[in-house]
Amino acid sequence: MTESADVVVVGGGILGCSVALHVARALPKARILVLDRGPIAGATSGRCMGHLMVTPDTKEEYAFSQTSVRMWAGLQEEIGGFDYNPTGALYLADAPEDLELLPVLQKQFSDCGDTAAILDQKQLREIEPGLAHDLPGALFYQGDGVVLPMTACSAMLRLGQRHNARLETRPGTEVTGFDGIGSRMTAVRTKHGTITTGNVVIACGVWSPAVAKLAGIAALPIVPRAGNLAITAHHSTPIQTQLLEVSYIRFAHGAAKVDPWKTDEDQGGHAVNMQPQSAGGCLIGSTRQFRGFDTTLNRELLHRSLLRAQRYAPGLLGLPIVRTWVGLRPYSVDKHPFVGPWPQTDGLWICSGHEGLGISLSMISGQLIAAQMTGTPCAVDPTSWLPRRIL
Amino acid sequence: MTRDAVIEADVGVVGAGPGGMAAALRIASSGLSVVVLDEGARPGGQIFRQLPEGFAHASPPTEPPSHGAGHELLHALTGSKVSVESHATVWDARAPRGDDLGCLWFEQGVASRALRCKAIVLAPGAMDRCVPFPGWTLPGVITAGAAQVMVRGYGIKPGSRAVVAGSGPLLLPTVTALVSAGVKVVAALESAPRRAALRALPGVLRSGARLREAFFYARQLWRSGVSLQFSRAVFAVEGDGRVQRAVIGQLDREGNPIASTAKTVDADVVCTGFGLVPSIEIGQRLGCRATWNEARGGWHIEALDFGATNVDRVFAVGEIAGIGGSEVAIAEGRAAGELVCAQLQQRGALTHVRDRSRAVRAAADAMLRAFSVPRGVYSLVKDGTIVCRCEDVNAKAVRDASALHGDSLRAIKMGCRAGMGPCQGRICAPSVQAIASRGSTRAWDEPVVQIPLKPVRTSTILDAPKV
Ligand SMILES: Cc1cc2nc3c(=O)[nH]c(=O)nc-3n(C[C@H](O)[C@H](O)[C@H](O)COP(=O)(O)OP(=O)(O)OC[C@H]3O[C@@H](n4cnc5c(N)ncnc54)[C@H](O)[C@@H]3O)c2cc1C
Ligand SMILES: Cc1cc2nc3c(=O)[nH]c(=O)nc-3n(C[C@H](O)[C@H](O)[C@H](O)COP(=O)(O)OP(=O)(O)OC[C@H]3O[C@@H](n4cnc5c(N)ncnc54)[C@H](O)[C@@H]3O)c2cc1C
Repeated sequence: MTESADVVVVGGGILGCSVALHVARALPKARILVLDRGPIAGATSGRCMGHLMVTPDTKEEYAFSQTSVRMWAGLQEEIGGFDYNPTGALYLADAPEDLELLPVLQKQFSDCGDTAAILDQKQLREIEPGLAHDLPGALFYQGDGVVLPMTACSAMLRLGQRHNARLETRPGTEVTGFDGIGSRMTAVRTKHGTITTGNVVIACGVWSPAVAKLAGIAALPIVPRAGNLAITAHHSTPIQTQLLEVSYIRFAHGAAKVDPWKTDEDQGGHAVNMQPQSAGGCLIGSTRQFRGFDTTLNRELLHRSLLRAQRYAPGLLGLPIVRTWVGLRPYSVDKHPFVGPWPQTDGLWICSGHEGLGISLSMISGQLIAAQMTGTPCAVDPTSWLPRRIL
Repeated sequence: MTRDAVIEADVGVVGAGPGGMAAALRIASSGLSVVVLDEGARPGGQIFRQLPEGFAHASPPTEPPSHGAGHELLHALTGSKVSVESHATVWDARAPRGDDLGCLWFEQGVASRALRCKAIVLAPGAMDRCVPFPGWTLPGVITAGAAQVMVRGYGIKPGSRAVVAGSGPLLLPTVTALVSAGVKVVAALESAPRRAALRALPGVLRSGARLREAFFYARQLWRSGVSLQFSRAVFAVEGDGRVQRAVIGQLDREGNPIASTAKTVDADVVCTGFGLVPSIEIGQRLGCRATWNEARGGWHIEALDFGATNVDRVFAVGEIAGIGGSEVAIAEGRAAGELVCAQLQQRGALTHVRDRSRAVRAAADAMLRAFSVPRGVYSLVKDGTIVCRCEDVNAKAVRDASALHGDSLRAIKMGCRAGMGPCQGRICAPSVQAIASRGSTRAWDEPVVQIPLKPVRTSTILDAPKV
């Protein structure tokens, strides 16, 4: 059976859903299909945390992340339904030597023209009485928020369908190949048949390299980076704000210190990330380890991250954990995601490789794809994210 | 007294119900050491539940003949070398492998402990299967199992006028327990048609014990003036903040409610039970293969003769290997105990125990095949009816999520949170998929297991013995 579509998005994670939303908005008459071999939001976007994070490491990163997080607030206004909670974020110092990091981070925010406040022990305790009383201080940034990523995927698709009634999802549809004439994309082959189309967006997370290979891209440098998470039962969160340990900035966004291709050598690292859930539980993360596509829980790493978490929120010890799991971050080896056209094939687009920030950056990423596809203005300069850099 | 964090035994048994007790007793009798871990306060499991220590029933609830076997097991347990660890919730497990011992990690009060053993027998039983209907979340609607737990396990009377509804052999003990506690049972409704009972008959006739049980219940019903009505169900429950009335009526051949037959009865408690769902997660965690069979309660651990599974030295007996009742659990427990001893003592296993467990299992299968939940009963569910109670997700949200995200359990969970709460979908999985697929007769997906197997404190995970 052959059918046709104007745009086919391969991958129904948060990035595929955002692409679908933005393209639907830009092209309200186009036929848009979102294909996923599994469920929508069934892979990494259903196995992660939902911190909407503004990262001020560089002005450029700030522009991407801040714009995207602001767009999330807009999504909440337009449709909602994804447990949006603008809690802000607390960067916690543990030992006195961490205190030095607070003004460093504060300066990063102010260099970007934003503000963040340093809290002393007493002020911190007023905001979060459940934290350990000996914590020396923290930085509070109010621009961050929390969402439930899976239902955010639904919200993006539903809003997309409001703009464009021809937007459809096809869960359970695995893409097995592509057809082209010369350097033009002409069709997507799936397990259930071929779909003729002139535009394909690859948004397959950690599987993007495999799917890109089917489209003739030899080596898209994205590697899975595993993270263990645990969640407490409802009505049992010790905290109300998104929390990170400030030492996070030393390691999480920093380039990996290990070789991401040598999966048997990475012992893994962890930095505390605790997130209150609207349903009343608390998500506890987060670890980072390169070990291929293995999603079995690393009990040792989970143990280490829980141990650190209870150092900040001792009340956690008595709370019930209901589930643990592992998600695979799509780590781009040069740290920048790939968002834009693939210059060697007309009609081939990539939107992938957002590592631990894919939820935060999904809104801007979808906008950039739609804008470039329709020749309308990008909300930020897309240059450093363009896939052509690997050629 | 501080207890060792790590204990060792030749054999570890999960569950002190009939299956676990029978296995443990058989194993201890041949001189091997055995430790039974059970969540409950006292051994007995679901059916042979004992009152808390130090309490007695003012007037003991009427007991069916099968409970004789329970008393025997409990009595034998007290006089045996079997060590029972109560209040012990198993939350992670590892199978024995080569010379490495297996391990069962458990939470006991605030202690985090582990049992190391050469072989593991799994007998963790089952959970009630619920089918939602409008009003089922009102206080006063309880499962058939819970009604029995209240009456037999705690001597509590759940109400004064009860409607009992659902499907399968568990309705009868529920009615009996309620009647013996002084509750007036105003209606007892079986959703399967009368011919289901006739179809179940050959299975009943194949087991003397089951036949005695059937006679016992027939007499109990007759004496209490309650008659079991077939092809009937509770359509809805109404009341102001709690159960006050039940709307009951007739079902057509597919199990769809016939609106014109609806009538309202006064009741303050509604007990519903649509059979049981095996608790398979410990087996899955150990790598045991699960398989689907509607008559056995859906997903269960595939057990071969003597309760052996595809994992070496891991055995599955009783409800985890498919719903079958206490007689099956006892026979399979004994058979698994026999093979465990034979393997650890390097001798051949006696085959008559295996033959007996095969026979009672076959009889149970024949009986339970008659009682599959008619899909039509899911058509009672309205858009606003809650399906996943942990997360307060209603049927419309389930259907919408399924249309957008896909119709697998995981897809629906991602789209609307159904199954993300403390029970991890153990209660709602069968209904979620039935409702999403609008009554298709497809099996629900095999649930994906993760640790902790049951919710435990963070400190339990942190303090887990490293073995
Ligand atoms: C533990 C953890 C915590 C995190 N916390 C945060 C956080 O707090 N904030 C934040 O912003 N980010 C966070 N992230 C990162 C974020 O989750 C990811 O960057 C994001 O989810 C990636 O989305 P995606 O759409 O690229 O990939 P996915 O969600 O994995 O989607 C890709 C989809 O492609 C499909 N697919 C693959 N192959 C095929 C094929 N051949 N045919 C059809 N479909 C196919 C897959 O089935 C999948 O559904 C976290 C990640 C992890 C693991
Ligand atoms: C609520 C209920 C009421 C029932 N009433 C009747 C009846 O009246 N008549 C009848 O014939 N049959 C009844 N049954 C069926 C009956 O329970 C079974 O036939 C029989 O008890 C099965 O025995 P078992 O050994 O397989 O499991 P069970 O008797 O269920 O024993 C399992 C034991 O394992 C323990 N356990 C489970 N998971 C863990 C864990 N992770 N860690 C530690 N311990 C664990 C449980 O606490 C339980 O004590 C009922 C079942 C239920 C669920």
